[in-house]
Amino acid sequence: MITVHTQFHSHFREVAATARDSFELDEPLVSELAQRITDKYGAKMKALLIDPDTNELNERGTMFVDTKGRRISIEDTLNDGETITFLVGIAGG
Amino acid sequence: MESRLLRVNLTTGELKSEAIPHQLFERWIGGSGINNWLMWEHFLTHDINCDPRGPDNIFVFGVGPLAGTGAGSGIKGRITFKSPCYGIFGDSAGGGKFPYMVRFSGYEYIAITGRAPKPVYLHICNEEAMLLDASHLWGKDTAETHALLQKEHGTWPSKTHTLTISQAGENQVGIAGVVSDALRIHARCGGGAVMGSKNLKAIAVQGNGGLPVARPKDMLSWSDDFRKKLDSNEAVYGFKRRGTLGAVEMYQHIGSHFWRNNQGNMFRGDEIRSDNWVKKYQKYSEVCSSDCFIACDSKYKIDGTESETAKKYIGETFRRPEYLTTGSAAGALDLRDWSEVAHWGKITNDYGIDNQDLSCSISFLMELKQRDLISDRDVAELFGHEQELRWGNMEDVEACVESVVFQKNTFGQLFRDGPYFGALKYSEIKGQNFMKYAMYGKGGASFTEEMRPFPTWMNNMAVASRGADHLKGIGLIEKFQRKDLSKKYFNGRTEAADLSTPLLKGACTALVENQVALLNSYGVCLFHWMLDPGGYTPQDYYGKAFAAITGIDRTPEELMRDGERICNLEKAINSRIGLRREHDTVCERWMWEPTEEGMYPGKVAADMFNTVLDEYYEWRGWEKDSGLQTRAKLTELGLDDVAEVLAQDRALA
Ligand code: SF4
Repeated sequence: MITVHTQFHSHFREVAATARDSFELDEPLVSELAQRITDKYGAKMKALLIDPDTNELNERGTMFVDTKGRRISIEDTLNDGETITFLVGIAGG
Repeated sequence: MESRLLRVNLTTGELKSEAIPHQLFERWIGGSGINNWLMWEHFLTHDINCDPRGPDNIFVFGVGPLAGTGAGSGIKGRITFKSPCYGIFGDSAGGGKFPYMVRFSGYEYIAITGRAPKPVYLHICNEEAMLLDASHLWGKDTAETHALLQKEHGTWPSKTHTLTISQAGENQVGIAGVVSDALRIHARCGGGAVMGSKNLKAIAVQGNGGLPVARPKDMLSWSDDFRKKLDSNEAVYGFKRRGTLGAVEMYQHIGSHFWRNNQGNMFRGDEIRSDNWVKKYQKYSEVCSSDCFIACDSKYKIDGTESETAKKYIGETFRRPEYLTTGSAAGALDLRDWSEVAHWGKITNDYGIDNQDLSCSISFLMELKQRDLISDRDVAELFGHEQELRWGNMEDVEACVESVVFQKNTFGQLFRDGPYFGALKYSEIKGQNFMKYAMYGKGGASFTEEMRPFPTWMNNMAVASRGADHLKGIGLIEKFQRKDLSKKYFNGRTEAADLSTPLLKGACTALVENQVALLNSYGVCLFHWMLDPGGYTPQDYYGKAFAAITGIDRTPEELMRDGERICNLEKAINSRIGLRREHDTVCERWMWEPTEEGMYPGKVAADMFNTVLDEYYEWRGWEKDSGLQTRAKLTELGLDDVAEVLAQDRALA
């Protein structure tokens, strides 16, 4: 079992109604983290986090990074104590 | 497809309506592609090395074939001209309702040459066009001018929509933009100074005509699919509520802001976050034009309860700031209250002036003062009176803004073309080299984002045809580390999404420049594409809408070739002006001074700059040493006529 911390920003924060959370995961997998987040925060979060066509992380207009600033994907593994930050990915204006 | 071009010669007062030959769409798609061609043709009979503020310059407005058709992909009008501030190819996009109203009037392109003997504006009403006296509008800002024109021309046969300049444009300030419907600025490259130099205060348009769609059923089914796809993505709802402000938190997290003239890359204070904006100011979302399935625009009204600082602006109403308005205000100038950021957005829009070049001109001077490189007396000499230059002080900022807009004093005059030329002239006057503190890329154009950890973005700053800019070849694959897209476009390779290597960064710029050239030629808003650059591909997905509307069938490969052709014409214009490899560069700070904060510290452009630039030229098929196009590449793109002109000008490799 590992503990993974999450930080939510912008629209993620609005949907989760919190800036931070922590999850205890049986398997150190991003897929399990995504499942736990959508279970906890419901349909809107699922529509934001998961691409319905691929069942992978929604890459469209989003950005999820680990503490080293690397984007994570659904098949990645996680370290105990890792923090994953969920951000909006847009530029321009 | 019948499309019309209005030619306006301001010197003679002659106005001529012409049908645009279908072949022009076959070759240049429309929108920015056709604008570029009109500019290219113009400079075959006029001196391309002319003074951009002189009558020989051309000012083109164009709107692409998808705009206003109900496609739902948003509308952007485009202005194209030789830039008065950078002296190179210039163009700039803007939304608002003006672009689609031009189409409803029966025109798609307006090409303006010469210089009117006295201030005029162009009024177009359903293909009837005339030049009218603008003496009562001269001296007014863009909001006042828009309101007066709407009142004068009323609401029949449609509401009046406008493209206007302010006092900055009238004063031929090089960094003056052109504003659509008093709300949406075509900020970059100085189109406002071109209009001002031509004594053209505004274009007002009314129309109630229809638009040609070659295959309406195909068009409707594309549009239906597009809406469903957008609706299925919750991130689109986030974008509706925050617009590009949603990027503030991401930029803060990774260290991508431009703080105090890019001495840092993170905002200070807790206020400037999109969450705070939404809580305090967000009421509803709306479309900026028509024909957009997203609606990321919104208005605010300050009531004074938002913060102590907000009390200064009670009653002020305008549109929500975009990211770059915020990046320039909260970043470059260190303004820390949302009401000030919003106010900065409003004044730069009402004065019709580019907030990137303007903020970097001011932050340049503030940094000199911060470092005691100039004295109070030096500042007083620049302003004609004592003037404080405090970071984050809106009064000081406004004094600088007015100096430039109204050309009030030496500071305003030195920096009328932005920080690069201002710093050069000021260094010369003082006999000291201040260039280290001037923030700019190609052409001297500035940009308020941290670039050093992002090699594709940095490459954009160095090669963009209109001068330093993110939009021409926007590095989404890199900044958002989209390995999936890197694999898709580069035969399974992932390096385009990997910040630690220079590989595929130049290739990525070239690829995305071609894609964006297509989108800009369709005349659509880039945000829809940005929300799914892998799905809404310009060559596949949008290509179907283009075919439905124009009846021009193209394979994705042919469309990519079309995008490449459009980019090559912009390049050819710059080559004729004299640009070579040495002009594809960036400022000293970006090149040599390491970042000290953010998620990717210790980066300088020089780490990867030349490798990326070489790769960019390779992927473009241009010669590396000179940066010039080759005849072989131009022939491959069907541009033998362009190659001939370049050869005559000794601008071909
Ligand atoms: S997405 Fe936003 S900027 Fe683009 S057309 Fe729609 S409202 Fe305008």
